[in-house]
Amino acid sequence: MSVIERATRKGAMALTAGTKAALFVIVIGAICRLLGPSVDWLVSWPDALVLPITEWVGLGVGWVLDVFKPIARFFSYLLNFPMSWASFVLGETPWPLVIGMVTALGWYLGGLRMALLGALGLGFVLLSGYWAEGMNTLALVAVSVPLALLSGLAIGVLAYEKPRVKNAVNVVLDVMQTVPTFAYLTPLLVLFGFGPVVGLIASAIYAAPPMARNVLLGLERVDDEVREAAVMSGATRRQQLFLVEIPSATTQIMVGVNQCLMAALSMVIIAAVIGGFDDIGWEVLLTMRKAQFGQSFLAGLVVVIFAIIIDRMSGKLAEPREKHSPKVVWSILAIAVASAIAFSLTGWNSSDVRAFDGVADAVDSGVGAFTASNGATLDALKNNAMFYGLLPLRIGLSDAVLPFTWGFKWTLTHTLMLYGVAVAIAGLLTWRGKPTAGLTTLIFVGMVEVGIAQLAWPFVLAGAGALGWVAGGQKLARFAVVLLVFILLTGLWERALLSLYLSGAAVFACAVVGGALGLWAAVSRTAWAILRPMCDLLQTIPLFVFLIPVLMFFQIGEFSAFLAICMYAVVPMIRYTRHGLVSAPEEIIEAARASGAGKWQEMFEIRGPYAAPTILLGLNQTILYAFAMLVIAALIGTTGLGQSIYLALGKADVGLGLTAGAAMAILALVADRLVQGFAEERRKALGL
Amino acid sequence: MTSENSTAPAISVEGLWQVFGENTQTALREALDAVDQTAIAETLVGRGLIPAVRDANFEVRKGELFVIMGLSGSGKSTLIRCISRLLEPTAGAVHIDGEDILQADEKRLIDLRRNKLGMVFQHFGLFPHMTVTDNVAFPLKMQGASKKVRVARAAEVLEMVGLEGREDAYPRQLSGGQRQRVGIARSLAVNPDIWFLDEPFSALDPLIRRQLQDEFLHIQATLKKSIVFITHDIAEALKLADRIAIMKDGEIVQIGTPEEIVLRPVNDYVAEFSKDVPKGRHACVESVMLEAIPENMPDDPGLRVGMTLDMALAKCMSLYEPVPVHDAAGKLVGAVNPADLAAALQVDEV
Repeated sequence: MSVIERATRKGAMALTAGTKAALFVIVIGAICRLLGPSVDWLVSWPDALVLPITEWVGLGVGWVLDVFKPIARFFSYLLNFPMSWASFVLGETPWPLVIGMVTALGWYLGGLRMALLGALGLGFVLLSGYWAEGMNTLALVAVSVPLALLSGLAIGVLAYEKPRVKNAVNVVLDVMQTVPTFAYLTPLLVLFGFGPVVGLIASAIYAAPPMARNVLLGLERVDDEVREAAVMSGATRRQQLFLVEIPSATTQIMVGVNQCLMAALSMVIIAAVIGGFDDIGWEVLLTMRKAQFGQSFLAGLVVVIFAIIIDRMSGKLAEPREKHSPKVVWSILAIAVASAIAFSLTGWNSSDVRAFDGVADAVDSGVGAFTASNGATLDALKNNAMFYGLLPLRIGLSDAVLPFTWGFKWTLTHTLMLYGVAVAIAGLLTWRGKPTAGLTTLIFVGMVEVGIAQLAWPFVLAGAGALGWVAGGQKLARFAVVLLVFILLTGLWERALLSLYLSGAAVFACAVVGGALGLWAAVSRTAWAILRPMCDLLQTIPLFVFLIPVLMFFQIGEFSAFLAICMYAVVPMIRYTRHGLVSAPEEIIEAARASGAGKWQEMFEIRGPYAAPTILLGLNQTILYAFAMLVIAALIGTTGLGQSIYLALGKADVGLGLTAGAAMAILALVADRLVQGFAEERRKALGL
Repeated sequence: MTSENSTAPAISVEGLWQVFGENTQTALREALDAVDQTAIAETLVGRGLIPAVRDANFEVRKGELFVIMGLSGSGKSTLIRCISRLLEPTAGAVHIDGEDILQADEKRLIDLRRNKLGMVFQHFGLFPHMTVTDNVAFPLKMQGASKKVRVARAAEVLEMVGLEGREDAYPRQLSGGQRQRVGIARSLAVNPDIWFLDEPFSALDPLIRRQLQDEFLHIQATLKKSIVFITHDIAEALKLADRIAIMKDGEIVQIGTPEEIVLRPVNDYVAEFSKDVPKGRHACVESVMLEAIPENMPDDPGLRVGMTLDMALAKCMSLYEPVPVHDAAGKLVGAVNPADLAAALQVDEV
């Protein structure tokens, strides 16, 4: 029959891309699995082949740093001035005036809502007793942000003006954003010496790329005709740029300003790890270390409030401005001045108020009581997740299944049975015309049996190469393999696999949970009304703060890290899934309905495929978020590259810090390019 | 049309090529050895290049409204950008008032644009961050005019395009038609001699489009600019043009007056365009006059040279008495005046 013929031909067609790649990976995997136990170098990269890259980097960069050290120290000396001014001004300005100015600014930018946000937010900070620390943090931000804005603007304009520079700039920006935040700190620490200036510069470096990107994007998006109209009006190049193109791109540039501010704040908080400055990040860290969760919760809230105020107010910059009466601005300021005078006359001191210490204690005792009474449940939750989820993923079923936890010992028979079942499923799927899905299942079963942290390196290389080949052809495959080989050569492979395992587990969990939540939000308006503010909040919170709640309930350990990563990384998955699902063009949906599709048919037959590229981009963001958080999570006990970077920071070991940071960036970059490749391929297939 | 002027034409374009791709100059130089431009274009395409404008040759006389008509992708927008040097042509020459503007340096070019050239864009190209007045006054600002002069002149041109009262609005607050009025006002602010219009009315609703076309003709009647006007709409081309150039695949296939285009298309492609055009509206009686004058002509409805066919037909019809109208069975049901038939077909003249 012709139908069967066509079906078989289709099957043969499928063999060309994904199936071939999957078969290749299975063959390599099977060889490694069979020979692994007897051939040592298959599983762990032979030490003899490890290049002392860490030392080379340490020596090379150390030498360069030594050369630049005097300049850097001088720069650092110079930066001390604006910094001490900023912290003097912010610290000495009476608090009613600061609150008044922020409230007035809020009114000017966004009317009553923003004014209330400013007043109530800062009011909380005042009453929490963290006013001084908060102002110190703001002082750091106030100095680092102008630096970041100016350099970001300059880089963006340069990349726009000189197409030849553009590619280089894009690569640098990519790297700057994928290199984990802690990895910046080590060389900066060596260069600039101990102290708050390091945090300031790190935050400027970290915050400049989003600005530069948005400036470039905004300029590139200026309408061709607007550009031409300026040319035809006889404007010189400089007039075109400053009178027409940059002003036309204002909205996008303001998005950049918003992102720049948030990045700077986030980094300033993280940089508290270095210490030496009495800011709010330091307070969080200190109280966390002392296990004073109530206080650290309070300090964390202050950070979150700063983040929300800065984000929402600067976000207003990118929206069309409504007019808000300047009279109100002046009256707010007048009230502020009056109360500043009044309070200074009465001699009331804000640092004496610790109105929420009671709250902090209550939180402490509440959490204590909760963990005490539900300790068994929490432990059970943690242990079950560890023993039946994370551990098998990490070291494989064959090692993780023990009589102590699972109630029986894993034997060769179990292994054979597992593979037997997997082969049967794969066979069934192939018979149903989905050979790629079947083979992929087989690969995943194999990975779970062996454990991600114990995967043989030829298998990982083959897998990454095959994925790259399917997603973007030879070039991408080569890119992935070459970069991974670099990690092998550094000798950080085992740590990289540990990082891969933890972030992989978190990404998987986020994909499942976030996908489901996204679907829910797409179906139900109520769901989105609940989820949306939560997503907004989670994306505003600086990474650091995520550690507090997980620590409160699950103490230090891998499971806490896993949870913290998930909390942070799940957001893009939810957002993109929902966005992809709801943004299918109305016409397509109407055509589906006219064809008699039901609600779920419409969702899975039409919206799903249409949303696939968007969802993949969400997954991509989730992966990058997970890697970013992984390093922060090293603070509460993870193994892997994050830990190496953190240790390197403590020892000021530039070589280790940079190499481990590079390895981390490589993992993130490879994952990013692979997923983007798939998304791009899907988009092309849909003709988008 | 003041073509009797002995000075140079307003614009002359000779052998203009615009090729997109890598190393186009060399490629074109090598390909130019071929016999005709079709062969040259084929060579270029074979090398993976895109010849967007192929060997364009034409002149625009002083005060002439020259329309370039073609479908999307025919190269008309590229051509106007070569003439205004928003793009660098690959080969050829463009003279404006006798000056070779492809040789003009950056400074001279800016000077020309500040004083001599004006351009209107399809999607208006308004500066989103400036008010209507600031948009219109922008070319004057580039000239270095004082604020007072700028505001006065802007008010003047805004009045000309009927936008008085909207001076302080921002482009986003205007309708499409109003935006293009701003675009037109801006292009006229420095009172340029040469006026480029790139599909100025294509993005507008049909009603607004007609209204603006009429106003445009009115403005042109008083200002007498030398105009290059791009459109993809044959009706618009026929309505506005003194002469039309028809482009296909980067090549100019015919240049002629509207009547020539409608009545004597050089090939099927051009004929296809004018197929749906009511010829009676664009052709004049001369085009169908007999070669020899018959001896006996009893009727004289008063035809004149230059009358459109529609008009002439109406005149002829008015000679007749009413005629009967029958139903399907052949029964007489009424009468019709032939003059009314002709009047019903007439399009209102503007």
